[in-house]
Amino acid sequence: MSIIQVENLKYQYPSAEHLALNNLTFTINQGEFIGIAGANKAGKTSLCMALCGLIPHFFKGAYGGNVLVNDKPVRDTPLNNLTDLTGLVLDHPFTQLSGAKNTVFGEIAFGLENKGVPRKLMLERIEEVLHLLHISELRNKHPFTLSGGEMQRVAIASALALKPDILLLDEPTSQLDAARTTEVFRMLANLADQGTTLIIAEYNIEKMALHCHRILLLNTGSAIDFNTPRWVFSRPDLNEHGIVPPLITRLAKSLHIKRDDGLYPVETREFNALGGFVDA
Amino acid sequence: MHKLSLFVDQSSLIYKIDPISKMMYAMIAFLTPYILPHITAAIAITALSFSLLLIGRVFRHIVPILGVSLLLILSIVIVQGLFYPDNATPLFQVMGLTFYQEGSEHALLLTLRVLNMLAACGVLILTTPPDVIINSLMRLGMSPRVGYVLLSVLNIIPHMRATMARITEAQKARGVELEGNLKTRLKSFFFLMGPVILSSLNQTRERALALELRGFNAHAPRTFASASGAYPLYKISRVCVVILLLLVVSWRLYL
Ligand SMILES: Nc1ncnc2c1ncn2[C@@H]1O[C@H](COP(=O)(O)OP(=O)(O)OP(=O)(O)O)[C@@H](O)[C@H]1O
Ligand SMILES: [Mg+2]
Repeated sequence: MSIIQVENLKYQYPSAEHLALNNLTFTINQGEFIGIAGANKAGKTSLCMALCGLIPHFFKGAYGGNVLVNDKPVRDTPLNNLTDLTGLVLDHPFTQLSGAKNTVFGEIAFGLENKGVPRKLMLERIEEVLHLLHISELRNKHPFTLSGGEMQRVAIASALALKPDILLLDEPTSQLDAARTTEVFRMLANLADQGTTLIIAEYNIEKMALHCHRILLLNTGSAIDFNTPRWVFSRPDLNEHGIVPPLITRLAKSLHIKRDDGLYPVETREFNALGGFVDA
Repeated sequence: MHKLSLFVDQSSLIYKIDPISKMMYAMIAFLTPYILPHITAAIAITALSFSLLLIGRVFRHIVPILGVSLLLILSIVIVQGLFYPDNATPLFQVMGLTFYQEGSEHALLLTLRVLNMLAACGVLILTTPPDVIINSLMRLGMSPRVGYVLLSVLNIIPHMRATMARITEAQKARGVELEGNLKTRLKSFFFLMGPVILSSLNQTRERALALELRGFNAHAPRTFASASGAYPLYKISRVCVVILLLLVVSWRLYL
């Protein structure tokens, strides 16, 4: 069941000379875990903003085409109604903090308080996300005293607590170490299994290959491809789009280890099943 | 992080009173000397506030604040003692200047009002964290936007101070002259402010986006994560405050 439909979406920032998003058309189904890949300035952040309505409601400029979320056109729906449906975590975790709360607990409560969630339910949700992101021990710390990685997890937790149907994450693991990144991706994959639609703009190709159902490959605002990680990372022209495929895929390419459908594996298990050998 | 408040973090009887009762108390205490211009009333209510500070074990924290106000009190005494319009009865002379009884009495009343105001505010401010005060006001119906501004100022100023300190260190390490005469100091001030202002401007827009997406402009009535009834003396303190108010008002009526 499709939850997001994008039709010929074009967008240009007011002060810009080029389109930031150039004629995008695609559909995303409920419960899908989508990865957006692309070089700097490919339009990943802009696309996230267009999907949650910040474009065109907050950022003016030239807007064409249509974005439908739950069959409602984003352009004609007030931002307030859209935020009940979609959550967004932007990439600088410090600016994702409200700045008005002096504990992590209060910070996570902020959005819930704004939306008038009853207190009992609110406390349950806060406990749930503290646990999900392994930040229970931070609950009484001042948000401004956290490390970048801790802030990042608090920002994700704050968005999750609102239980959005669609969660957009712009480089959510840029400040996390390898173990934390793995944790977050696993947790997100679980959420997708439970029906949340997840869209993540990331540079961590390895993790996207492992967990995302489909990868949207962008280059200067245009969609180059939108397909399974195997398909996208098997492309011979990834270099031109500023993408380095996962290590396993590179290994498979140089060893000519292919699946029957001609695609290269993106994960170790499949690589080994096809006759390669890498110690997992 | 250095906090921007006078709150003393400990516990005592006064900490068990809810902020609204304390605010009501501060208000009544502040108004009493105006409602009851008699000096006995001012002395009584000031004594009550100081007793509460003692019971609350925050008395020594009000002392530096009183110290700061000493200058104000001193000038009141001198000006009123010498120049109060109703001055008639000379009290004593210093260096050829005559202090009068009427002026000195009036000065005493004014001094009591200042002390009373400081002590009454002290009961509230020394024993209640500022964010708790603001949250209680929001519960009472203060606009969430005003609340947000007040709360974020409380949080952001200490953070900006910390950022300034970090940047100062970094600039020093890069050889920017931060000490010396006024000219070098002024020059380095701009070096210092540049990055702070630029980064906070960028951050402001992104934070505005984040707030928007977290329902800051939602129309639903707000709810609160913190419990409102976590104060064991909530009921009794309300009753006491109301009794105090009745006392003050009836004293005025039967005066
Ligand atoms: N606020 C803005 N005003 C004007 N132009 C902008 C603005 N934000 C982005 N752009 C432009 O839009 C295009 C797409 O930028 P966007 O930030 O969406 O890319 P991105 O893929 O997220 O890049 P990065 O990997 O660096 O985060 C770029 O050409 C950029 O210069
Ligand atoms: Mg970006």
